[in-house]
Amino acid sequence: MTFKKIMGAIGPPLIFGAIFLGIWELIVVVFDIKPFLLPAPTAIWSEFLERSDDIIEATLVTGTNALIGLIFGVVFGVAMSFVLMRFQVANELVTPLAVALNAIPIIVLVPVFNNMFSSTTEVPRQLMVTLIVFFIVMVNVAKGLRQVSPVHMELLRSYAASPREVLVKARIPNAVPYLFTALTIAAPAAVITAFVAEYFGGRQNGLGYSITSNAAASRNAASWAYVIGACTLGLIFYLVAVGLEKVLSPSQHSTKQQSGGLAPGGASA
Amino acid sequence: MTTRGVSHPVASDAVVVDRVSMTFNEGKSNEVRALCDLELVIRPADFVSLIGPSGCGKSTLLRLIASLISPTSGSLLVNGKSASQARVEQDYGMAFQQSGLFEWRTVQKNIELPLELKGWGKSKRHQRSTEMLELVQLSDFASNMPWELSGGMQQRVAIARSLAAHPPLLLMDEPFGALDEMTREHMQAELLRICAASETTVVFVTHSIPEAVYLSNRVVVMSPRPGRITEIIDVNLGSDRDEDTREEATFYGKITEVREALRGAEAADGPRGIEDR
Repeated sequence: MTFKKIMGAIGPPLIFGAIFLGIWELIVVVFDIKPFLLPAPTAIWSEFLERSDDIIEATLVTGTNALIGLIFGVVFGVAMSFVLMRFQVANELVTPLAVALNAIPIIVLVPVFNNMFSSTTEVPRQLMVTLIVFFIVMVNVAKGLRQVSPVHMELLRSYAASPREVLVKARIPNAVPYLFTALTIAAPAAVITAFVAEYFGGRQNGLGYSITSNAAASRNAASWAYVIGACTLGLIFYLVAVGLEKVLSPSQHSTKQQSGGLAPGGASA
Repeated sequence: MTTRGVSHPVASDAVVVDRVSMTFNEGKSNEVRALCDLELVIRPADFVSLIGPSGCGKSTLLRLIASLISPTSGSLLVNGKSASQARVEQDYGMAFQQSGLFEWRTVQKNIELPLELKGWGKSKRHQRSTEMLELVQLSDFASNMPWELSGGMQQRVAIARSLAAHPPLLLMDEPFGALDEMTREHMQAELLRICAASETTVVFVTHSIPEAVYLSNRVVVMSPRPGRITEIIDVNLGSDRDEDTREEATFYGKITEVREALRGAEAADGPRGIEDR
């Protein structure tokens, strides 16, 4: 039953993916497309197998950067969201800034960080990831802490609840689903940031560096092989974030159901 | 028939509203006179409905009694104390049109919330919430999450929560407004049964004339802008009300009486927001 369900969900995209790769291979072979233009999937796969040790190593480097940045970003983001909730002034100062930052590609700060810190360390990259994650988490969690339903606030007021009790009984539990929503956005963003940051120089060990250097040397198939590593890494981060949300914050899915999934009538008891 | 409040309130009265006026945004261009010079006395174990067209300030009056807002002038006593003191001591329970259940808490934990805030111990809380679940006949759903329940069941949980601390006073703001007709009539009967068993005083805001007549000992008819009490109608259909009561001539007679009082109240303004069902 569950196996059937899982296959029902992932079967069609898998089949589509296989057909897509088949057509890709066919086009490369039939039209005799040169490898420096577009390598065939089989060529990429054989490069992937040949370089698997290197690819895993590069993935670990980039993955570690993303993970460290993600953890620090979440910790600082959550901490800051409490400050924003508590102090209206801070909220008015920081929130417009955070919104503005969404429109600016702050990733271009990496060269600056490379100069500020030694570019022979991973610090500039981890700092970049931290910064990206920080704003995503801060904005979302602050929203959850503030936007408690008016009925809940009125009820707690009728119970003469103290501000601390309102925080513990309503604000924090209300913010939990927002935190997990932020995580599912921040986790893939952390991976993207970690390996794009490598495009801007620094140590020559991660996925991003390997993709650009192989591409520059016209080793296209090798470059694509590292792309497989990047895809896998992004997918792992996203799936772990979604899994955490499912296990730790089941109420979020149910809130969505609340509007539609009610049993009819109330007279049954 | 009594008009206006009783002129000699005593300390044991559940609610005393003494010359209360409420003006929002006082002195500004968007000033609204919501209530003007209200007087009302509610005795213990009374069931009083507030009815009137939209904007007549009936919800405002309820929120004043609950001390969620403060009057511009006049005073309110709840259980012989100031309204704010009564709120601090949790002398009343409150239920709204939305059940307002906390979606991250189970049904039982929702009922225990006011008890937690009163500082009750775990076993005492559990015992009381189990009793309350029995009272609203939802014992089988103790560990369910709110969204797994129908709208009517959620509203029953909200009522159980408002009664959990055994408050002497229950304040309800259109609690059945969002329910379908069948569920609504069922809930009305349930509420009467629960209140009779616990001897709770109820102040009940509603749009529905039959609902007000069926539930109440007294129906307070209000007029809009500024909100005033125009008439207080004694109903007293007796404590043995059941489904047949809804088909009796006296029931219809009282409905007509309330409707006419409402027409008189809003003659200058035209009828709005009143349901005849």
